[in-house]
Amino acid sequence: MQNVSAPREPTQPVLSTSSTILSMREKEKYIEDFDFPFCDESSKYEKVAKIGQGTFGEVFKARARNTSKKFVAMKKVLMDNEKEGFPITALREIKILQLLKHENVVNLIEICRTKATLHNKYRSTFYLVFDFCEHDLAGLLSNVNVKFSLGEIKKVMQQLLNGLYYIHSNKILHRDMKAANVLITKNGILKLADFGLARAFSVAKSGTVNKYTNRVVTLWYRPPELLLGTTVFQGPTEQQQLILISQLCGSCTPDERLKPYVKDPYGCDLLDKLLQLDPAKRNDADTALNHDFFWTDPMPCELANMLAQHTQSMFEYLAPPRRPGHLRHHHHVPGPQAKPSQPQDSTYQDRVF
Amino acid sequence: MPYWYYDKKDLQNTPSFRDGIPTDTENRYRKEGARFIIDTGSKMDLGYNTVATGVVYFHRFYMFHSFRTFPRYITACCCLFLAGKVEETPKKCKDIIKVAKSLLTEQKFATFGEDPKEEVMTLERILLQTIKFDLQVEHPYGYLLKYAKCLKGDKAKLQKMVQMAWTFVNDSLCTTLCLQWEPEVIAVALMFLAGKLSKFEVVDWNGRAPKHTAWWDMFVEDITMELLEDICHQMPYPVYSGPPPNHTNIPPPPRLPMTGPPPPLGGGMYSEPPPGPPSRFPPVNVPPPNYFPPPPGPPPRPYYQPP
Repeated sequence: MQNVSAPREPTQPVLSTSSTILSMREKEKYIEDFDFPFCDESSKYEKVAKIGQGTFGEVFKARARNTSKKFVAMKKVLMDNEKEGFPITALREIKILQLLKHENVVNLIEICRTKATLHNKYRSTFYLVFDFCEHDLAGLLSNVNVKFSLGEIKKVMQQLLNGLYYIHSNKILHRDMKAANVLITKNGILKLADFGLARAFSVAKSGTVNKYTNRVVTLWYRPPELLLGTTVFQGPTEQQQLILISQLCGSCTPDERLKPYVKDPYGCDLLDKLLQLDPAKRNDADTALNHDFFWTDPMPCELANMLAQHTQSMFEYLAPPRRPGHLRHHHHVPGPQAKPSQPQDSTYQDRVF
Repeated sequence: MPYWYYDKKDLQNTPSFRDGIPTDTENRYRKEGARFIIDTGSKMDLGYNTVATGVVYFHRFYMFHSFRTFPRYITACCCLFLAGKVEETPKKCKDIIKVAKSLLTEQKFATFGEDPKEEVMTLERILLQTIKFDLQVEHPYGYLLKYAKCLKGDKAKLQKMVQMAWTFVNDSLCTTLCLQWEPEVIAVALMFLAGKLSKFEVVDWNGRAPKHTAWWDMFVEDITMELLEDICHQMPYPVYSGPPPNHTNIPPPPRLPMTGPPPPLGGGMYSEPPPGPPSRFPPVNVPPPNYFPPPPGPPPRPYYQPP
């Protein structure tokens, strides 16, 4: 399989002294022709447009070539610079998505592949194929023409917490919650997406503490315990982030500062409880769902009618930049590629969280 | 999700068989591949879960491809490499290859090609497609411990039985049982076997209901005695005489009640029988004759005899 640019003669003693084993060329032919019964070719979908950049690859809108003409989102598994094969983060995302089946979690339909040929050195490219969602929350929020009523805001919040409650009950941490990863269909159903940084957690056994990296979550949305965490890579970036937050909020107690911006007193109280500095005092999804915010007038109401007024998809990736010169990819956790000073060898460890 | 269980007819008519490899040769290849994964995994301090996941990938892979197309030892390495990542115990590919090289003869390692790491990388994509990205695999170990917790009786005897059953589960990886039965069923059958061989008769258990005729009725419905005996007879040694006497490294049994992590996978019993004095672990007491009559046909070969 290696060195395909210079095909070898099948008689070359490549594999074994055993005459029963296929030659390299026969094997290449075999791989090219093998019709994997469980993994369809990605050509069954037709790419329509690029709609995003996930944690490990591009995301495309695509349409099924069969009669259904169904729209899907295809997320490419980027493997070009992987020294350790199929990325462990992608394996986690796949495992987690196979486990999670819920109305408020994005649905993984299948995993597709490109055909292995001489052209790609007999290495397929893989795509995760999802049900298509028309919008993401960041895209909707950045559009001045989209106005949420309080009842609609409650519906968004409630679905978000429902999804979160479900994934946490299944012992999964999302670790990259942000508006761009919250999808909303045109019917107003919210779906949590991008489990590229997610992982399973276990309840710590007696005497041991589970250690996970604090190098997760897009910087803007990291909770204080991750920003202040004691694990590796404490540096100017995190501190700068804290300075920015405290300059904006004045202190770490949001309640008083939030009041002028959040008119609804229940909403303000809920936010306060969700932003508690002490993680032990912070509301979990279940507690938050029982908050009066969701059980007082105006009650949560469907988003479908409001969204019906907008016929265009709204994604953060496609939205105009908020400020000139502010590149979108800037808010992502800088990958190891962004730190060329690191020795190449540490790349893999760095990505195993 | 695909259905990963096959009946005996399907297990005869495999891609390797259709490719001209006789069934007993294929079974030997499967056994050697599985044992190699166990040995490599043990040497790298990988847990029993990672090792068992790798072995299940290996058995599933060869339900779609022939041993002629894909030599067994490199596939085994690839399965262990992927299982390491899936079970959150990743090992670098080059380290796995290094250990593999140390365990194999030069001739066998030659099947890895000129650039072994590149070979494994290409093979990984084929493996993932073949197993339909069905990465999460369950094993009998957890069920074994769960069932043991419910059984009543002498603690020491129970302990001994669970230890023996645990060893049987390790040994079952070298068979195609994981292609025939769910891990729950295998756990019941091997605990049943261990109970017989260690003379521990389960008469009472927590959660016993009048409709239960045996403890396993509480966990799995419709298990017949024929099924249990069929599974026991597929173990890689004649079950009526117990495991072979070369147990040099029986894994420590899980403690009951369970506090620490389960025991590591013992690698010793997969090694060739040690020459010289008999091992410290004598064969387990032989049950009454004909309790497990040998299956029809030629007598099964003790697994440690060189093929």
